[in-house]
Amino acid sequence: MNHSHSNSKYISNFNSWAEQKRFVNFTDEDAALLQKLHPFAVDYADVFVEKLYEHLQKFPDTKRFLGDEKMLMRLKLAQKAYFMDLTSGDYGEGYFKSRIKVGIAHQRIGLPPRIYMSTYCYYMQLMIPQIYSNPTFDVETANGIFSALHKIINLDQELAISAYIHATDEVISRQTEEILEMSTPVIQIWEGVVAAPIIGMLDSGRTQQFMERLLETIVQTNSPVALIDITGVPQIDTATAQHLIDTINAVKLLGSQVIITGVRPVIAQTLVHLGIDLSGIITRPTMALGLKVALDKLSIKVVDVSKE
Amino acid sequence: MANQEAGENPIKSEGDIVTCRKLIRNAAVAAGFGMTDVTRIVTAVSELARNVYVHSGSDGVMRWEILHQPGQIGIHLEFEDYGKGIPDVDQAMEVGFTTAGTMGMGLSGVKRLMDDINIKSEVGVGTTITVEKWGRAK
Ligand SMILES: Nc1ncnc2c1ncn2[C@@H]1O[C@H](COP(=O)(O)OP(=O)(O)O)[C@@H](O)[C@H]1O
Ligand SMILES: [Mg+2]
Repeated sequence: MNHSHSNSKYISNFNSWAEQKRFVNFTDEDAALLQKLHPFAVDYADVFVEKLYEHLQKFPDTKRFLGDEKMLMRLKLAQKAYFMDLTSGDYGEGYFKSRIKVGIAHQRIGLPPRIYMSTYCYYMQLMIPQIYSNPTFDVETANGIFSALHKIINLDQELAISAYIHATDEVISRQTEEILEMSTPVIQIWEGVVAAPIIGMLDSGRTQQFMERLLETIVQTNSPVALIDITGVPQIDTATAQHLIDTINAVKLLGSQVIITGVRPVIAQTLVHLGIDLSGIITRPTMALGLKVALDKLSIKVVDVSKE
Repeated sequence: MANQEAGENPIKSEGDIVTCRKLIRNAAVAAGFGMTDVTRIVTAVSELARNVYVHSGSDGVMRWEILHQPGQIGIHLEFEDYGKGIPDVDQAMEVGFTTAGTMGMGLSGVKRLMDDINIKSEVGVGTTITVEKWGRAK
């Protein structure tokens, strides 16, 4: 079965990046122009990196990401390589992958996108004089290089932002899963009785988790009775019914028994319409009534001491 | 915003089944169906959308429309897929018939939950199932 994943649409693949290049009008000519800048970029690289880090160190927000002397050295080396790649002239799959990696790495250390983006701005500020004060470039070439640099930086930014969004998306889907898990709690409500209130539809993804947790809790608490409450289930289709029946049978195998509680009249009616026979299963309209059945089974009598 | 009276939703993932149910629940409630009918309609949607996802082997789409008649409201639903099709529709409608090891009670159940069911299917081309349900207008 093909489960489509919402994440995949954010992180670019190499094909969509080719499309992105067409979108910003990044041509072979741009690649060639950037390559013209390359020897000068190589010469300028050390100065560039020093200036950039000098700038970053001025701000407490960015300074705290730079670490100790050793770390700083490593960052500067990485920055230098990154900077020189920008004008390498080769913007193929290798370039694409390395840019994605950089984006992910920055997201991982918690660098805010704001800083990431603003650093690109500083990049341009340092580079513009390098382009326009270079005597080997006439104005037309300088303009071309400027435009090409602008485009490639924009492409880099897009990849970085994609990586950020992708990572955030993963956090959200992980949290969704956690909420899902929380929404089917299994609790011991009496010595020998566990209860599981189900809220929402019991879909396949959730059933497996739910069943495992229910069986585990039954064993851990040594409970002969489990109440599954379906008050919060909006409707039951044949797939949900199947999941419920599977769960009930698994509980039976442990030697325990399920009581389904919170069966609303509409649900009972739909089950009849679907032709699903629950006659072999104990059901009660409310959890309270289900608990009564459970206590009877355990030969427990609850007395109202005020009436004694 | 005016209540939406028609629309469509793709069926490509299990999440889409959830969206289909939610869409139709909201539309049916807004149209004025009673809770019993809403539950029946949404259950039918769940069955048919899941069938597209599980059985067709392809993507599909759900289309819906709210219908009006003097004193009555109705809902028309269509589930179309471009998948493998159903070789024998009468057999598929039988209680307990399944090719997936599940209950085999979806289609027969939908027939009882709704007022009208119509299945058009061609092997290798796809399946279109339409259902309708009418209720008293509030
Ligand atoms: N959209 C569809 N495309 C192909 N086959 C289908 C489709 N819907 C239903 N079927 C066939 O009809 C059978 C009966 O469906 P149903 O009554 O819903 O029971 P179940 O889903 O449990 O198998 C399915 O097992 C399948 O072979
Ligand atoms: Mg089915």
